[in-house]
Amino acid sequence: MPDLVWRSVTELSRMILTKEVSPVEVVRAFLDRVTALDGKLKAFITVCADAALEAARAAEAELVAGRAVGPLHGVPYGPKDLYNTRGVRTTGGSKILADFVPADDATVVRRLRAAGAIVLGKLNMHEFAYGPEGLNAHYGDAVNPWDAGTHRIAGGSSSGSGVAVAAALAPAALGSDTGGSIRIPASLCGISGIKPTYGRVSRAGVLPLAWSMDHAGPMARTVADCALMLGAMAGYDPADPTTSVLPVPDYLAALTGDVKGLRVGLLRSHFTDVATPEVRDAVLAAARTLERAGAVVDEVNLAEVARVSAASLAIVPAEALAYHAEWLRTRPADYQPDVRERLMIGAFVTGVQYVRGQQARQLLRQEVDAALERRDVLLAPATPIPAPVLGEKKTMLGDGESDVRSALIRFTRPFNLSGHPACSVACGFTTRGLPIGMQIVGRPFDEATVLRAADAYQRSTDWHTRHPVLA
Amino acid sequence: MLPPMEIRLETLKSLSQLAGFDWSDAELEAVRPAVARTLDLLARLETLPLASVEPTTQYRVL
Repeated sequence: MPDLVWRSVTELSRMILTKEVSPVEVVRAFLDRVTALDGKLKAFITVCADAALEAARAAEAELVAGRAVGPLHGVPYGPKDLYNTRGVRTTGGSKILADFVPADDATVVRRLRAAGAIVLGKLNMHEFAYGPEGLNAHYGDAVNPWDAGTHRIAGGSSSGSGVAVAAALAPAALGSDTGGSIRIPASLCGISGIKPTYGRVSRAGVLPLAWSMDHAGPMARTVADCALMLGAMAGYDPADPTTSVLPVPDYLAALTGDVKGLRVGLLRSHFTDVATPEVRDAVLAAARTLERAGAVVDEVNLAEVARVSAASLAIVPAEALAYHAEWLRTRPADYQPDVRERLMIGAFVTGVQYVRGQQARQLLRQEVDAALERRDVLLAPATPIPAPVLGEKKTMLGDGESDVRSALIRFTRPFNLSGHPACSVACGFTTRGLPIGMQIVGRPFDEATVLRAADAYQRSTDWHTRHPVLA
Repeated sequence: MLPPMEIRLETLKSLSQLAGFDWSDAELEAVRPAVARTLDLLARLETLPLASVEPTTQYRVL
């Protein structure tokens, strides 16, 4: 079946359950594509070909015996290589953990396994998740599949997850998001990804970057696939004390396609207004699309975002250094230079400054909550720019020149500080053919409304159905 | 962008040693501009009306 790799998770699941296709065929199709393309794309750090085929054969036998273990029975996916996987090395994209083989799965990996999903391999990432470019000096820089002629970055830190899904090397992936690391590669690679509310998905068994900012979430080509994955991943976990005991709703059932009366706040200053013109126009057009579908759109500004950089710099380097201190003392040369530099900054943040950051963070959270009192969701670009060329350092935004790194995290990081759920979906393409992403932000633990709005948008548009041209 | 505040190498050396790191002068020199920019930004937090704001230590674990 030539187009098998372009089927959605939802379609593959249905086809497997109805025995239209076997899990072995599906896994083999993706492994063949990985073999053909990943030498160039560098989405995978480790490919689990034998284990994936063995799991697929077991899934097939279960089906023959009349048993389907869950909604993802026989469907392959790739976790970012910071999710612990039992018996499979988990490098964190680092040299330091190059030979680390966990004894147990991360909670999320275990839950997806229980739902029937099969690990195809472990995906590339910025070393230790500390960079929005998605660069990796040890395993190679993932290549954005949307520009065959130029090496453009995939965005990070979940770069391999973005590339694998966009290039159909896997139908779905797991990312993690501390400053935008799910939404940035989703935006730059033209796919969907959701950073759930802080506390919605367990981080147990996921290598941390900054404990109070880290979120785990799914990435796929469609919002419906993200909903299916999230439903299997979410929920209380005694191994992660920050997870909520709130019940997990049926996210797929929430995708009604109906946004009549949905109140959408378009984030203007700091967000849409400073994006590059093509990105700004695409997001404004998306707002009109939602309006035509019945949503009520107004405009909103968040003043506290001016403090986001300072608050984030007070928190992330300090928390990250606390995790990395011992390695930074004993193996500093084993870090790639940009990550080592970011970690070192943590040594110069005082305790008072850290607390100030947490205080400023509270102001932002309150402001986002207030904006969502009269609205169901907020809308903004996910990134102000499309995928930059590898090595590009500066870019021009509506309010002046910015370094590329700051630009990439500018629109996503506020919602890591605030903890609100945020989903990125493709909302257009530039004249050069590069994807443009927008994000939809919702109330705490209301992923269902975020996903409903994003899915309704995908039902009205075809951006998410476009594929990069690959040899 | 404002010019970064001045921070001397000796200061970085002392602070990093206090934190338990024995980084070389070259390593500290490389990171000095980034530290200066960071401290500039962090100084702005001191100008905010935060006296009665509880830090974010509790999440919405309902």
